[in-house]
Amino acid sequence: MLKAVYYINQFYAGIGGEDKADTELGYFDGAKGPAQAAGARLKGEMEIVRTIYCGDNYVNTDAKYEKMLPELKRLIEEVKPDVFIAGPAFNAGRYGVACAKVCDYVRRELHIPSVTAMWWENPAIGMYVKDNYILPTTETAAGMGKSLPKLADFALKLAKKEKIGPARKEGYFATGHRYNEYNEKTGADRVVAMLLDKLNGREYRTEVPMRGFEQVPPAAKVENMSEAVVALITTGGLVPVGNPDKLKQAFADKYGKYDISGVDELKKGVYESIHGGYDTTAASEDPHRLIPLDEMRELEKEGIIKKTFKYFYTLCGVGTNVENSKEMGRRMAEDLKESGVSAAILTST
Amino acid sequence: MPEMKKTLKRKYFDVRDAVFAEKNDYRDHILYVSKEELKKEIRPLMKAVKDVDFEIVKPGENCRIIHLLDTIQPMLKTEGEGTQYSGFFGDPVMAGTGVTNLLRGFAVMESAALPWDESSASSGLLYPRDAIMDMTGPIADMTPFSKTVNLVILYELEEGKSSIEYDSEIRMIGIKVSTLLAALTVGLEEDDSEDFSIDEENKDLPNVVLVWQCQNQGPYSNTYLYGQSIDDIVPTLLHPNDMLDGCVVSGNYVWPAFKVPTYLHVNHPILLELYKKHGKELNFKGVIFCRSHNPSNWHKTRCANIGVKIAQFLDADGLIMAWEGGGNAATDGMLTIQCAEKHGIKAATITFEFGGVDGTEGILLVDDVPEADAICSGGSIEKPYTIPDVERVVGGKTFRLNKESGGFFPPADKSLTFEQTTHFYLGGNQSGASTLFAEAY
Repeated sequence: MLKAVYYINQFYAGIGGEDKADTELGYFDGAKGPAQAAGARLKGEMEIVRTIYCGDNYVNTDAKYEKMLPELKRLIEEVKPDVFIAGPAFNAGRYGVACAKVCDYVRRELHIPSVTAMWWENPAIGMYVKDNYILPTTETAAGMGKSLPKLADFALKLAKKEKIGPARKEGYFATGHRYNEYNEKTGADRVVAMLLDKLNGREYRTEVPMRGFEQVPPAAKVENMSEAVVALITTGGLVPVGNPDKLKQAFADKYGKYDISGVDELKKGVYESIHGGYDTTAASEDPHRLIPLDEMRELEKEGIIKKTFKYFYTLCGVGTNVENSKEMGRRMAEDLKESGVSAAILTST
Repeated sequence: MPEMKKTLKRKYFDVRDAVFAEKNDYRDHILYVSKEELKKEIRPLMKAVKDVDFEIVKPGENCRIIHLLDTIQPMLKTEGEGTQYSGFFGDPVMAGTGVTNLLRGFAVMESAALPWDESSASSGLLYPRDAIMDMTGPIADMTPFSKTVNLVILYELEEGKSSIEYDSEIRMIGIKVSTLLAALTVGLEEDDSEDFSIDEENKDLPNVVLVWQCQNQGPYSNTYLYGQSIDDIVPTLLHPNDMLDGCVVSGNYVWPAFKVPTYLHVNHPILLELYKKHGKELNFKGVIFCRSHNPSNWHKTRCANIGVKIAQFLDADGLIMAWEGGGNAATDGMLTIQCAEKHGIKAATITFEFGGVDGTEGILLVDDVPEADAICSGGSIEKPYTIPDVERVVGGKTFRLNKESGGFFPPADKSLTFEQTTHFYLGGNQSGASTLFAEAY
């Protein structure tokens, strides 16, 4: 017989409501509260051998949570469960976070599959869904009878180590993990069907969710230009001829940094663009179109800026993964700061 | 005033096998291909092309095709105005009516190692990246041509010609070969036929248009409309039958995953799906054709607005936005969706996505607008694939990769791992031909 450990809060453990939310971690042997109904659903295939409870405030206080982990680990590992189940938490924010947090810990640290369930607007989903199975429920506990069987069935599947299908078939909230597969229908079939659903007022669901773009606040104004050391950065792919660092012409994973101290102009034939997203003929013809060093030297002479930083930075901005871009940007900015650079001009193409 | 009436009958002639023979022939669903006869016909076209050879590749074969350029639907117009691929080999007279014979289950493919040297348009974007397809294995279903019998034209090039000369000659030869083979069906009984007409409409159904944006950035990154490249084109209106008869021809080899070959302009999967539902679930009002990769936001806005205005003239309730090309084109597409929705026209689209190896990294699209709430996934290009060893390679002995780093030329019959799908022929699934998509877990 498969074994499950179940997690609930102080309320479902029958200890009390808000006034008991500081209750410490404790447990019952066997099933208690919603775990009992879940256990009944598991029809002799799986037994809920232990029900762990904790007050919602207790588990949501970082210091207390850290302190309770060794005991939580002991209580779970002692009975060697095949799966860990928490909730359902419905629309209860703190309970939701408690369930998701404990499930995340159990999966990550104890390597035991875990699942919880809650209402789609529960804030815990945004915090923990990326690597955890969270099933949808009704908004309030009035839908316990509807929500619990799904949770129990999914937990059984996890315990049996069955292959878990995609979110749209299994019903859990999409985790953000996406893998290439072949659909039953072509893209053409699906896009026309989706438009018809939209036109006919039927429910439709985008296959590619919008994740939103981050807003980047503009840098503060340079107060004293005549004291400014200005760096030149381009995503236009300018490199010394021959591309000595083997920068990629698309999907950049590193940037180049090239010394231009003592150089007054970037000559054709010495620098070239390797960018993979535009016709680079004009850029290679006159590299200043990407790195305007000629103008910068003029500004130095006129005293408008103090000087141009001795290196320029470069990569090809084509199809670059956003996380890589952020990482490269961070490293570039750190390097510039340490070098006493006060402003930078970034030219894109 | 006379009403516009356009019906095109497509007669299909199934090709179940192809073999080389002394004489070109088509009988009992077998295509007999004479290399000598074909060469004799195309020799007058050869100036930048030194010589050609042919290979036949069949479904299920343990075979890889490399250095792929365009793929063409062999067809011949037998009745009605204009010709197949009108504008090439003649005046750009309107097609889309009458009868066109098509070889079904068969494609003509072009393979050439176009030069990488600087004398050609081989800088930056504008160089042909190696396009690879497998007839079996993990990437086979990214392209519909793993299921067709393919005649691959192998081009040997003269040295020192311009990219425009290579490009145009390769295309003319491809069209010529496909036409010669399609001509073998004249006077024979077809296996199947279909009538295409959008003349009859049902007023109770929603009106739908397809917006088809094609790549155009210069030689090797181009699209032709009635024989002419689409530089500076503003959105224009095509009858879907124009496209069925080949008014749009591809000259785009820069990113193999993001290209759409001529075969799929002629058999555009979304266009055919709209036709299938015409009069039953929707009224197919036409194709708004334009270029993607407009150079600035100003140009993109102009293109989006003109396109949507045409949709308004057509009383469109909805549009399908589809584009060829990468991130730049995505912005053109998104602006069109936004403009359409703002004017009460509902939009759905299909695109490849990013997201990194496990899909969780960063944003999924290069650009999006809040109005784009109905997007089909054409699969993620940021997935590593290992293509297996194969018994046979057509097109060359080695891959041609990583030009910017001096080139990488591993043996083409050996297994190789790619970090992205960009080298796989039609890996971006932009015309919706394949079932590839990114499944959400």
